[in-house]
Amino acid sequence: MQHDHDLTVTLQPHPVSPLVLTVAGDLDHHTVPRLRAALDDLTLAPGAGLVIDLSGLTFCDSTGISALVSAHQRAQDAGAALALAGLDPEIIRVFRIMGLDRLFSFHDTAEKAIASLQ
Amino acid sequence: MTSLAARIFHAPIATVTLVDDEWVRCKAAHGLPPRLCQGSRAVSLGAAAVTHDGVYVVPDTSADPRASADPLVRGEPGVRFYAAAPIVTSDGHRLGSVNVMDTRPRQATSEQLASLRDLAALVAGELELRLTASRTVAAERELRAGAERLARTLQRTLLPPALPRVPGLHAAAAYHPVSADEVGGDFYDLFPLDGDRWGFFLGDVCGKGADAAALTSLVRYTLRAAAVYDPDPCAVLANLDAVLQQEHAGSTAPPPYCTAVFGVLEPDRDGFTVTLAGGGHPPALMVRTGGSIEAVHPEGGQLIGILRDPYFAQVRTRLNAGDALLLYTDGLIEARTEAGARLDEEGLAAYLAAAAPATADDLLTAVHKLIAALGEGVSDDTAVLALSVPAYSTAVPLQESWCSMTTT
Repeated sequence: MQHDHDLTVTLQPHPVSPLVLTVAGDLDHHTVPRLRAALDDLTLAPGAGLVIDLSGLTFCDSTGISALVSAHQRAQDAGAALALAGLDPEIIRVFRIMGLDRLFSFHDTAEKAIASLQ
Repeated sequence: MTSLAARIFHAPIATVTLVDDEWVRCKAAHGLPPRLCQGSRAVSLGAAAVTHDGVYVVPDTSADPRASADPLVRGEPGVRFYAAAPIVTSDGHRLGSVNVMDTRPRQATSEQLASLRDLAALVAGELELRLTASRTVAAERELRAGAERLARTLQRTLLPPALPRVPGLHAAAAYHPVSADEVGGDFYDLFPLDGDRWGFFLGDVCGKGADAAALTSLVRYTLRAAAVYDPDPCAVLANLDAVLQQEHAGSTAPPPYCTAVFGVLEPDRDGFTVTLAGGGHPPALMVRTGGSIEAVHPEGGQLIGILRDPYFAQVRTRLNAGDALLLYTDGLIEARTEAGARLDEEGLAAYLAAAAPATADDLLTAVHKLIAALGEGVSDDTAVLALSVPAYSTAVPLQESWCSMTTT
């Protein structure tokens, strides 16, 4: 677990699959290396699932969006599935305008995202 | 420092003075009231001490004609003994002196004079350190200001100085920066293609500052060059995507991306056929003659420069006589209204429906008023490009054209 006053990235090992990465706080160019590092540390096996729980996200800038896009690409490379949970409706709206709804599946809660990957 | 100097000499007064061309100023004083702390260089003992090599000593001022003009000798407190060591920097600059004074004549021991010299050397070192620090800060500020000036200049070159005159079309554009210091990455252009077709685009590069400005420049020129090669709007965006991906290849920095709409205008009787492609960009808004607002949305178009196999979409519509089309960057719809909610595309559409702008100029004025009304709610730069076909244009000779450009 890495901790800072403005962004926390926590990996919660789930009993079975999928892995759940909880990201809370401001995701911007200052804090994004923490998310990237946490993603780099993950081992994604083919067929595995990864949920990124963003319900505690308070801000997301363009570098945050890039980091989530590379998370998707990492999952894709590993043959794993990625689901985003708890995104603020305003951010989902921005993601839709950017055409990112073709990349990500959005779920209200981490539980629903986990269920979608099982 | 001054109390230490006074103690070494068992004297009542000690000062640290700095000299400039005109004045001798006290930086620190022990045993001397502040009102006596500044004197004219012409008559000051301190001025003599500064230019003197080594420690300057006047055992009795009444016996020394050089000292009689100093106000501290002539008047209060009536200095009779004076000793000073010059403050000299490592590169030989004489900044001032450390001074010890007494109101009775006396002698100083060689040990006391050596200590005074040491104190002056300490002050010189301290002053030099501060000077270096303040120079570093000043140099850094200068660099920063220079970079911002460069970025602003660069940004100006990113926007066309004036939109070209397109027969039968009225075009207008504006750039609304949020901050004069920080450069955003919004861009737009309108330019001739083959035959009587015209290309236009508007978009937004992620990030701010000089890097964003440099990327904006690459995007703008790539779009124009790609349109010459193949003006199909989706192909132009795909081409831009390839260039941005190559630009990033091998770099570990976060990949740069942009959102954009690219369109082609083709004259068609009394209006234009518009083919518009979008990549991750908010929908354009069409204000029809009757006042209805339509979103012109290449649905599903994705971010440019960052995705594997991105999808770009295009739609076709018609710009009829009396219609006006608005392209904008997301700074506008992401602005917060007084109630704290995002304006959103719906809010913008509702505002335009009420304002009922009929021409490109009207559209720009309406957006300008909206941005002014949103005030602090606007947190990002906004670029707008408006295109309209004059109503009743069949009554107007075809070669007549309208064009304007404003930057706020």
